[in-house]
Amino acid sequence: MKVTRRQTLRGSAAALAAGVFRPAIAQSEPIRIGYLPALTGPSSSTGIGINRGTELAVKEINAAGGIKGRQIELIVRDTQSDPTKAVNASTELTRRHKVQVMWGPLNSGEALAATPLIARDGVPQIHPCWVDALTDPKKYPLAFRNAPTNQQIGGAANHYVVSILKANKVAVVSDTTGYGTASLDAYVPMLKSMGATVVYQSSVEANNPDVKPELLRMQAAGAEAIMPWSVNAGFLSRIINTRAEMEWDVPIVGQTTLGSGQTKALLKKPEYWEKVYPNNFRNCSYDTSGQLPPRTVEFVERIRKAGIEMSDTLLWWIALGYDGPRLIADAIREAGSAPEEIAGYWNKVKGWPGVYGTITWTSELHDGFQGNEIVMVQANSLREGAFVLAPGYTG
Amino acid sequence: MLVSIVSYGLALGAVYALIGITYNVMFAASRVFSFTAGMTGMLGGVLGALFIDRLGMPVIMGFIATLAAGAALGIITEILTVRPVLKSLDQHLYVLSTLAFALMIQQLTAIEWSTEPQPFPRLLPIGSGYFDQQFWLPMAACAVTIVGLEWLYRRTLIGRAFLAIAEDNYAARALGLPEQRLRIASYALAGVIGTLAGFTGAEMMLAYFGNGPLLNFYGFVPVALGGMGSNRGAVVGGFALGLFQQTANFMVGGIFASVAVFVVFIVVLLVRPEGLAGAAAARRV
Repeated sequence: MKVTRRQTLRGSAAALAAGVFRPAIAQSEPIRIGYLPALTGPSSSTGIGINRGTELAVKEINAAGGIKGRQIELIVRDTQSDPTKAVNASTELTRRHKVQVMWGPLNSGEALAATPLIARDGVPQIHPCWVDALTDPKKYPLAFRNAPTNQQIGGAANHYVVSILKANKVAVVSDTTGYGTASLDAYVPMLKSMGATVVYQSSVEANNPDVKPELLRMQAAGAEAIMPWSVNAGFLSRIINTRAEMEWDVPIVGQTTLGSGQTKALLKKPEYWEKVYPNNFRNCSYDTSGQLPPRTVEFVERIRKAGIEMSDTLLWWIALGYDGPRLIADAIREAGSAPEEIAGYWNKVKGWPGVYGTITWTSELHDGFQGNEIVMVQANSLREGAFVLAPGYTG
Repeated sequence: MLVSIVSYGLALGAVYALIGITYNVMFAASRVFSFTAGMTGMLGGVLGALFIDRLGMPVIMGFIATLAAGAALGIITEILTVRPVLKSLDQHLYVLSTLAFALMIQQLTAIEWSTEPQPFPRLLPIGSGYFDQQFWLPMAACAVTIVGLEWLYRRTLIGRAFLAIAEDNYAARALGLPEQRLRIASYALAGVIGTLAGFTGAEMMLAYFGNGPLLNFYGFVPVALGGMGSNRGAVVGGFALGLFQQTANFMVGGIFASVAVFVVFIVVLLVRPEGLAGAAAARRV
């Protein structure tokens, strides 16, 4: 077949036009963020709280003109608190919807199942899950965490007990779940390395209705603080109730659930919640004068204006949800929407001022949360989703 | 320490004994060992808290509604999971069907109720400390159930009909007894006893979906210890288990308390496989 000069020119022009105009179309397309919250099912209380912050952030970014003129399209799949559904949804989002980036899953169980698949499909991901193994720059170079690790959580509680409460004899107790026993195994050596004496350690069945035998042993061993590691409100409330009935004035320090509404509902008397100090986060806690940090005050005002309900959730859940999409938006705005551009930007993030926490990532460390922002708070001080710092913290 | 062992031990033992009786009542009518027994116990606590705490029913109405729901669940269990597999009892398909149904009940409770333990309301303004109602209510429920069952089986015609189908299903049918209706009634009765156990024990154990598997297991132990089908054996086994478990909690503590319970359970079964009060079954050769 003979090709004329005119045909060659026409072909070249068409090819050039395709090259030139395709990016122009792409520049106006929305940025697709895959989002995997657990909005229903057993673990949904966290997901519902985080979702309020996420929706607010996306609404604000889009209302301000989007990212370089491109709107964010949040493609949501409710994981129903089920790791299997999280896996199916993540594959649907990465392969069928070709999302540019993933926010979530928001629960560790679901993230453990979905993160390897998201990494395999080469999609950058931010998740807020605490299980240590969920970031690994070598295994998952595109996966980043904007929340603390379990190690950081335990470290903060141990620091409070040893350095602030000055308790030298510590009793550590967990339930018999994987989380409970793993926490016990991790935190007891940490306490010992800080100079404390662990006078009692044990794993107990969470359903055991009578924990008095355990507390009597702790008391006989001279424990100056009890550190329970469990997410079971029944188990934790039994420890708190029994301590009060024994008229034992020992502080209880540990897991976030110690301060949850579910634990409160199971206390025999509200005053039993005195001297109970759960984990929380400095930016979302009232200081000794009853004030939130300035950036959080401004954030709470915005939540109020947006008509977001705060009484049935925790402030740090909303703040965490708010930070996720903003970290994504900043990366795309500054570096571009290709996976390596997004991850490249995140690898250099330093001191990013989130509402929930200050984030610093490097190419070697994808755990961005700062350990010194994890604090202990007074369980009985919950007001509009936030707690007051436990005694001994300054500022 | 002794008061704590006795009060918690007897109260827990009473709950275990009642779940054991639930197993037995279903077993007697159908030769099926239904794994929904523990789930009815769990639902006794959950439904009680739902009716009284959340829906604001008076205690007596909430109690009746909970037991009625237990009876309905028993009937559904018979229709859905037992009747279809009765023809092939020797293949033990009921293990799958009742276990699957039990898991469905548990998951549904987790989704619709909560995965967190919830408080159970105080039922009566009586008792405090180790004489609190949370301890004596399950014991009273157990005593009432034992007396009621004895009266039913020994003094009433329908009770004797229950015993007849338990003794020899084919002969009972040949005599014209309505076997299917009696079986349904047995399952309804088992549902009532199971929910009674959960309802009276819930202040101590809380309204919690995770109590289902626990009661399934700890309710099975008295049946195995006491002898399959023996309600008296289940009561003795239940109280012995509760007291031993609580003693082990004090003596060894932690997960070793559970290990101690399993060790005794296995040793008893090795020494006396038919159970402490059971008789070795004769086998036609």
